[in-house]
Order: sequence, then structure tokens, then C-alpha cells
Amino acid sequence: MSTGTPPLSNPPKPQARALNCPQCGAAIVLRSLGHAETVVCASCHAILDAKDPNLRILQKFQVITGEDPPLIPLGTRGKLRGTDYEVIGFQRRSIKVEGIRYDWHEYVLFNPYKGTRYLTEYCGHWNDITVCKELPTVQFAAATYLGETFKHFQTADANTNYVLGEFPWQVRVDEHATATDYVKPPRMLSSEKIANEVTWSLGEYIYGADIWKAFNLPGTVPEPVGVYENQPSPVSDNVKAIWAGFLGFAVLLLIVMAGFDLTSNKSAVFEHTYIFQSGEPKGEASFVTDIFDLEGRTSNVELTTSANVDNAWIYLNYALINQDTGQAWDFGREVSYYHGYDSDGSWSEGSTKDSVVVPSVPAGHYYLRIEPEGDPKHPPVGYTVEVKRGVPVLGFFGIAFLALLIPAIVITWRSISFERARWSESDHPPIQIGNSEE
Amino acid sequence: MTQPASNCPNCGAKIVFQWSSSVQTVCPYCKSILVRTDVDLEKVGKVADLPPDSSPIQLNTEGIYRSKSFVVIGRILYEYDQGGWNEWHIMMNDGKSAWLSDAQNEYAISFATTATGLPTASQVLIGQQYTWNKQRYTVSVITPAHYRGVEGELPFQYWDKTDVTFADLRSETGKFATLDFSDEQPALYLGEFVEFDDLKLKNLRSFEGW
Amino acid sequence: MFKKLYLAYGVLVLGGTGAAQYNGWSLDRVNQLKNVPKSVRDNPGSYRSVYGFYHHYTGGK
Repeated sequence: MSTGTPPLSNPPKPQARALNCPQCGAAIVLRSLGHAETVVCASCHAILDAKDPNLRILQKFQVITGEDPPLIPLGTRGKLRGTDYEVIGFQRRSIKVEGIRYDWHEYVLFNPYKGTRYLTEYCGHWNDITVCKELPTVQFAAATYLGETFKHFQTADANTNYVLGEFPWQVRVDEHATATDYVKPPRMLSSEKIANEVTWSLGEYIYGADIWKAFNLPGTVPEPVGVYENQPSPVSDNVKAIWAGFLGFAVLLLIVMAGFDLTSNKSAVFEHTYIFQSGEPKGEASFVTDIFDLEGRTSNVELTTSANVDNAWIYLNYALINQDTGQAWDFGREVSYYHGYDSDGSWSEGSTKDSVVVPSVPAGHYYLRIEPEGDPKHPPVGYTVEVKRGVPVLGFFGIAFLALLIPAIVITWRSISFERARWSESDHPPIQIGNSEE
Repeated sequence: MTQPASNCPNCGAKIVFQWSSSVQTVCPYCKSILVRTDVDLEKVGKVADLPPDSSPIQLNTEGIYRSKSFVVIGRILYEYDQGGWNEWHIMMNDGKSAWLSDAQNEYAISFATTATGLPTASQVLIGQQYTWNKQRYTVSVITPAHYRGVEGELPFQYWDKTDVTFADLRSETGKFATLDFSDEQPALYLGEFVEFDDLKLKNLRSFEGW
Repeated sequence: MFKKLYLAYGVLVLGGTGAAQYNGWSLDRVNQLKNVPKSVRDNPGSYRSVYGFYHHYTGGK
């Protein structure tokens, strides 16, 4: 007897087998190399015992052939997570919520080394699912698995109503199972309970485009409808980041504002008080002030008019004139203040002070030309004109603050809307805001 | 490692034991089940043809578990109502014997462990919890199975068994336990689930088209 | 990618605000004139104002 390798005593090598359906004679292909428990005849829809060499009939179901063609045809191979899988089985299952039936599809994928994997598809939303080896722990409205907590999304009675291909379990049409989903986007933890047996599986959301790429499918990817239970939010990560960014920028804005404020010259470069009486002096009401210096780089000039108007008004035509260049800034300001009592209490309108900021005034020698106007019947009005150089314009900082805030608010709103859309499909829908239902 | 050699009492073929503690082996030529006695090998039965089964593992497949390499030296094949599974007997490079189970391509490695207070087949129920080595296990599946065949070297005598009950216990961490009720005394195996890629298996079976 | 967008946007807003303040811009509307003669100092009445938004008519000069 030689000491070489013994004659092949291993059991026969499994290959994809072709057999015939005992009911209608159509060809049956078994792709799962002995793993399948049941196989469905694509022509007459008899469910057959895949382990029986004669393919004994287990169940028959009536359906129009080709009624629900799988989006990934049986026998297609694709690469998921670096491993090649072949689609061997397909089923359609449904739940009923408030009288409405919701269908989804499940695909059984097979690899002879790595085993079985599943894909589910609902309205264009796909999930990549594997059976759990570790035990999850169920809590109140949540479940933990491998240290992660998943929130309860839905519990429903799932019914199988259409099957094709091979399955590694005893599949039957009209079989009911209690399906419970817990979500932690992009993952989902699901339990299926039939009689007393519970099977847990972990799903991860996968985009239709990635499925089409993995399986090299022709045509365009169907657009997903609505928000799916474990669909990752396109914005939620950004919400935290954008508010952190906003805070950072707001602090910087404050620092910039403080910087300009501290370096501004708070004292007036020109200040004078005048008395105006309409009609006097007779003739020309306008006059010019003494010349004052505006120093430094080209910056703004703030002119403040304070008048002791009491239920009266005064109007001042100002011109800030550069003595040397002849350049002038021309503007009119009204100071009016009215107040009184009525049935609601005291009221007031206007102010005794007015400020205007003249932009981009270069350094130089300047004077003001002032032409006041007032109510001719009114007693004399005293007013003080104050000129300051290089003041911080709070309006800019206010605008900047809003500009930084608005995107953060928009992003947060979009994230909230997305999550509301997600949970509106669950057993725990959010409270409706407003009167109308979308 | 000593590799004692003998001859098959049935057909005379040379039998080499890869593991010195093997109690039983199957002659690869005539399929006789041979049990080691003090003196020589004794034929106790014959293995029926094993059914076509699709485990990618075969005898002499090599792999790595927790940095220790191992080689597959034997197997027990079981069948139950939803299919079948293989318990591959592996020899670690430190001489320890362990089991690599392949159930629908779900892999687990476990070691025979002695423990007291084990339930009997009639006492065990789904949902019961046991603690061994400070790890809590929950009975998840109870499977009445039947022995279908053996191959290669085994650490005990195992042949012509009929129905056997197994209880699978799982944990929250991936640790795995099996209670084997084939004998009078229940046997406990403790281990964990392993991923195919992590085992770095070599010399696997080939599949046409894959 | 999104975070970079907001970062760039925030830098733009901050930069713009800083530039606005540094260059002395204002939110108020002011009209500009050129070549105001020096004689206005002696005769302020000769100054021709630009009527921007003038909500009180003087009824004459």
C-alpha cells in the first residue's frame, strides 16, 4: 500500500445543481451548494424541499408569475464589504399599520465561505443585514447590543407573501412573525419571533447607488421615498459642528468689536452748543463752524445732535466740508420728541438725540456748514453738535452676528425636520406642530 | 510531537496519528472506524458515506486562533431538522485539542471544559442562564440532532450514535457555550464565535465557480 | 466638507465686518459733493445743498 494520498474519500464536492420541478417540470437551479432548505420553482411557485433529491413539494402558492420581479435578479453576484455574494433567494413581506399594508423585499445572499447575508429594500431604501451571534439585551423602549443602545422604532406582525429562489430555512408563504426594529442610525437591530424562537439581526443602511455599483445593475437607481427608520441623517453631524463654529466665530466677533471699540477715540473732536430760533437771525439761517482736525487713516465720522425738543422738532441740514480739498458730505437730520398721556398710559415718540455716521472720510481740516429749520411758532431750541472720529458701527456687528446665526438655525431646522420625518413612520410619532397634517 | 504509526487492521494501510492523544480515527482508505488500544488499533465499525456537505473546511485545513496556529485533524457531522453542521476537531500548536464548529458558515471555537452543576437534557430550557468563568450565558437553542458520520482523529470514542441533544448558549459578548448530552454525563464546551477572516484559514476546500 | 464651507463663510463674514469697520464704512446714507468753494466759509448761504431725502420743505433758501 503506498503512503501517498489516499483515494478521494471525501464526500462529493458540491456544485450548483440543476434539477426539475416535480410539479411542472421546469428547471430548478440550486446555487447555494447544499445550504438551502427550501427552493421555489420560478414557474409554478411550488415550494420544494431543497435537501430532498426528489425536491418534495412542501407548499404551493398562487401568484402571477413575474408579479414582483426582484431588482437584483437571482444569480447575480456582487461585492459587499470585500466579499463576493450571490443572490440566491428573494421574498416579499408586509406589515399592516392602521389598515394600510406596507410591503418590503428581502434578498438572500450567499458565499460558500462567509455564509449568508441579507439585503432588505423598502421604497428605495436598502439595508445590509447579518444575523447576530451575540445576544442583545432588551430594555424599556430600547435594546443594547455590543455596548450600543438602539431605540425602539416599531413592532409589527410581518407576513411573507411572495417567495422566489432558495432559502436556508423552511420558508412558507403566509407565515407570520413578530418583527421588532430598534434603530441607531445608520444601524438597526431587528428581532424576529416565530413561536418561541427569536432571531436577532443587525442591519446597516446602504444607499441604492452602492447596491447598483456592487451588483453592476443596469439602469438608474430608484429614488428613495421619504425617510427610512435607520437612514443616516445628512445633516445631524453638522448640527453640533456648526453651533461650535458659530460660538467660535461669535467670540471672535466680540473680540474684533471690542478691539475696535477700545482703540476708538471716545472724546469729541468738535463740540458746540447753539440756540435756534426760527426766523432769527433775519435772513440767512445757515452758518459755518470753526475748523477742526480729523486725524488718522480714512475712517468714519459720527455726528451727534442733541436738542432739547419737547413735543417739537428741529431739522438740521449738515455739510461736512474739507477745507483743503473741497470735498463735502451732505446730509439732513431731524431731531423730534413727542410725548403725552392717553387711555393706555404715557407714550413717547422720537428722541432728543440723533446720530449719523459719515463713511470713509479722509484725514484733513474740516468744518461744518449747518442750516437749521424749525417750527416758526416754537420758542428757541438749544442743540449741541458733537463730532467723533472713528467710531465702531454696531450695525455691522449685528449684521455679522445674524449672518453667522442664520445658517446654524437653518441646519438645525433641517435636522429636526428630517428626524421628525423619520419618527413619523414609527410607533412613536412626534407631536404634530400646527393645525394641518402634511 | 510523536506521531505514532500503525497499520489498519482491516486493509493494512498505514495510519499516522497527528495527535498523540487521539482515541479514535477513521482509515482514509477503507473507512473503518479504528479505536486505539494499548497495543494496537481495533476496528469497531465502518463509516457510511458522508452526505454532500458544503463546509469550506476539510481535514488538514490550517488556521490561526488567538495567535496560535492549528490544524484540522478530525470531524463529526450532525444533522437536524433545519440542516446540519460540522464539529471539526482541531489540534492547536501547543498540543491542545479544540473544536471548530461550522454551522451554516457561522464559526465558533470551543474547548472542552469541566464543570459541576450541569443540567441534564430534560432539565435544560431556553432562556435559562448559567455562569461559567465569570461569564453569563443564556440558553438560546436546544437542538435534537443525530450523528451522521465521523472522519479523521477524535479525542474520544464516537460512532454509531443515534439522537443527541445539544444546547447552545450565547452571551452578550460573543462568548459561546455548548452542552453536549450524547453521554450519560453532560459535557460542556466553552468558547467564542469567530469571524472567517480572522481564522486565516489555509488549505480550504474549493468550490466550483467560486 | 460642510464644516469647511461654514468655516470659510465665517471667515468671510468676520473679514468683511473687520474691513467695513476698518475702512470706516457706515450704514447711513450720506450724499457727497465735490469742489465746494472756499468762499462758503465767508458766505454760508451760497452753499448749494444736494437734496437727498428732505422731508421738511423750507419754503425758500
